[in-house]
Amino acid sequence: MSALAHYLEEEGIASVAIALIRQQAERTRPPRALWVPFELGRPLGPPGDAAFQRRVILTALGLLEAKPSASLIVDFPDDDPREMPDPDWRPPVNTGPRAGLEAGALAEAMSAELHEFAPHYAQSCTKRMRSTVGLSGLSPAVCGDYVVAWLRGEQPPSPVEDMSPALALRFAIDDLKAFALEAGIAHGKPSSKQLGDWLWNDTALGAALHVLRRQCLAGDDERLKTVAAFFVPALRVVVD
Amino acid sequence: MRLEKLPTEMAKRLSDLECPVFETMPWVEGPPLRERRVAIVSSAGLVVRGDRVFRGRDPDYRGISGSTQANDLLCSHISINFDRNAFQEDWNVVFPLDRLNELAAEGNIGSVADTHYSFMGATDPVQMVEGAREVARKLEADNVDAVLLTSV
Repeated sequence: MSALAHYLEEEGIASVAIALIRQQAERTRPPRALWVPFELGRPLGPPGDAAFQRRVILTALGLLEAKPSASLIVDFPDDDPREMPDPDWRPPVNTGPRAGLEAGALAEAMSAELHEFAPHYAQSCTKRMRSTVGLSGLSPAVCGDYVVAWLRGEQPPSPVEDMSPALALRFAIDDLKAFALEAGIAHGKPSSKQLGDWLWNDTALGAALHVLRRQCLAGDDERLKTVAAFFVPALRVVVD
Repeated sequence: MRLEKLPTEMAKRLSDLECPVFETMPWVEGPPLRERRVAIVSSAGLVVRGDRVFRGRDPDYRGISGSTQANDLLCSHISINFDRNAFQEDWNVVFPLDRLNELAAEGNIGSVADTHYSFMGATDPVQMVEGAREVARKLEADNVDAVLLTSV
């Protein structure tokens, strides 16, 4: 990101970067950067907090009026209040830990669970007036069927015209994760850790993706191996 | 991000990630903020629903019209190092278009660009040079004189 600042500025466009990793900004040295102490994935800080976001953006844009400097990196002083857990949040579906189930049983459990997620996902979409499901172009139900087929050891053809089976699998999984996480924010404002603990430790979907990742990485299809590395967040990978 | 909150190995990997080093230090000056026309350039792999998603470490970019609705913006970033749930809850945490429009309405900035842009941040930045220069020309044609760069 800081490199883009150099490229744009060389072309005459002034820029200010919001940097999440200070060490990277220090090495790339963009003209102006605001380092923020927030979790990765949220450069403006807390979702749903317009006043806080406004302070971040005004602090960043204010650096455009600074005098020329070798490289100006300023620290934003406040932490993201949404990093704290919401004690009132409850997951939409309480399926409990599924680790240890074999792939066939997990496939069944995952299919049933996706049906349970559906009304919570619908409520969440209504509340936010949006959804981020859509990378594969498939409905969540079709994504679920496609992932279940792989989990059962089948090698289904790609359901997406211009995507290989492996690429369609990656985006179908991205869509199912979004489907579940959006169901998860239907009732309350959980922290990312609360949501992640629930998805990866207490749902059939999370357990299924761990198993499918291992299955794909152990196979000899290089395209599947490549996409499988992106099924489970780095911090959630369980080392056998 | 406070890297000390991450496991040591991951923190070290992020801290030590190879970054391009620049010998020159361009610095473009401009009018006061209240007169600037501002665009967002994100490295979050954002795409408008229906556009071609970023499929890997693609070096090109996507345009995002200023009239795009929140329901039509998707994140196709390849990284598994960050959670998507903040973006899912509120697009402004990654793409603060609502905040920019508010600042323009209040007179804190001059105006908001007609089009914003997104790259795939996992791509080697050196491969983005051509796309970045093309974006700069488009921003200039839109009279943009300030870019807010957001990463994830």
